[in-house]
Amino acid sequence: MGAPFDIGYVFSFLPKLLDTLGVTLMIVAGSLLTGIVAGFLVALPRMYKIPVLRTLSGIYLSFFRGTPILIQLFLFYYGLPEILKLVGLDLTRAPVMFFVILTYGLHTGAYAAEMIRASVEAVDRGQVEAAYAAGMTPYQAFSRIILPQALGIAVPVFSNLVIALLKDTSLAFTLGVMEMTGKAQTLGTLTQHFIETYIALAFIYLIISFTLEKLLLAAERRLTRHENREDKRESTFRLKKRGSYRTVIADINTGKGGGA
Amino acid sequence: MQLDPSFIWTAFWQLLGAIPTTLSITVVSVLAGFVIGAVTAMLRMYRVPVLAQIASAYVTFIRGTPMLTHLLIIYFGLPMVIDGLAEHFGWSFRSVSIPMIGFAYISFSITAGAYMSEVVRAGILAVDRGQVEAAQSVGMTTFQSLRRIVFPQALAAALPNLANSVIGMLHGSTLAFAVSVVDINAKAQIVASTNWKFFEAYLAAALIFWGLTVLIERVAALIEKRVGAYNRGGVA
Repeated sequence: MGAPFDIGYVFSFLPKLLDTLGVTLMIVAGSLLTGIVAGFLVALPRMYKIPVLRTLSGIYLSFFRGTPILIQLFLFYYGLPEILKLVGLDLTRAPVMFFVILTYGLHTGAYAAEMIRASVEAVDRGQVEAAYAAGMTPYQAFSRIILPQALGIAVPVFSNLVIALLKDTSLAFTLGVMEMTGKAQTLGTLTQHFIETYIALAFIYLIISFTLEKLLLAAERRLTRHENREDKRESTFRLKKRGSYRTVIADINTGKGGGA
Repeated sequence: MQLDPSFIWTAFWQLLGAIPTTLSITVVSVLAGFVIGAVTAMLRMYRVPVLAQIASAYVTFIRGTPMLTHLLIIYFGLPMVIDGLAEHFGWSFRSVSIPMIGFAYISFSITAGAYMSEVVRAGILAVDRGQVEAAQSVGMTTFQSLRRIVFPQALAAALPNLANSVIGMLHGSTLAFAVSVVDINAKAQIVASTNWKFFEAYLAAALIFWGLTVLIERVAALIEKRVGAYNRGGVA
């Protein structure tokens, strides 16, 4: 199975893989933007219980959470041009990146929608009532009372969403996008040092997700600084020090437990 | 290329044959992952020196890297380790005799273990401390109180997350194509490229996965109702 193990290759592969980091991050950023827009569009009908649209959002959520991202990638890549051909749109010349970002975006949208809905619903109704009682207009109540609290609640889930997305982008190579995993496979084939490339690859992913997690944790701390940080909940075991109970729950609640 | 709706049905039938492979990968990784996860969660919660740190590092590493890299590292690294050891100790066992699906089982179990660790931990955290104190005050040992009092309640609390993990592993099993295991996804690829009907084949695969996911969700909801029967009333 290839050449004997040589740790030196791990270090020499790191800069080569980092060259393609931009592509990976571009997919993440692009899909995150698409995902948040799609998430809002899907979450609103469900929050306001708009008849037909609500059912459609339900189907959207069920489909994107019910099928693997890998299948979705192929489905969109091969299917979208054919479907759009029926309405006279020619997508055959669109870059692969378009399909990749669109698919990851719609996939993320499903999880973002649930995140948005859960966060808004988690804000205590009494808070809004108190805001009205204090004479705020509905817009003031939303922007000053609901939004800051909902953001704080959403951050741990959002953090997982971003990290899951980052890890999912490792599948984009199947459509021929030269992101980090694709590059790693090429390097492995060229040098026959597969295991070293994949160790370097895993290391880079680890560093990025670790950094993202820390940044978003700092954001959560800032957004929830008004809350009592002392954890007084009764529990058998102590919590990890760096996070809140919400973080622990959010860690597993994105529906991506074990996902790619 | 012209859309051929009848081929979706043809592909659907051909893909059905690959369902057992997908399910076996899912079941093996979930079961092994649950055991690994329960052990690592316990190590971390009781703060066993050294082992707790190793468990934390394991969970952090696995959760911070894509599942595909785990599979590839195991696929390329494990034979190297096994063959090295075999040569050193003069075993007759060689890595060639490990079937391809074995790599998928091992790697996905390791992946699932890290995610399950968090599921188990959250489940146990959801059990009220008073429950353990009550168990100890009636004279149960730590192990007895864990087995009789904490675990049944933790299981009920963890069920939704457990279901999510199972679905995650079901979807993750599509990565097995990377080590030439023919699961639903790989089969779809084969059916698609032999008939040059990609969209139809993947649509059929998506329908199968969708159906399986909905099935798992339904079953989980049923079990949840049953396991949570003690917990009527309240808001939860």
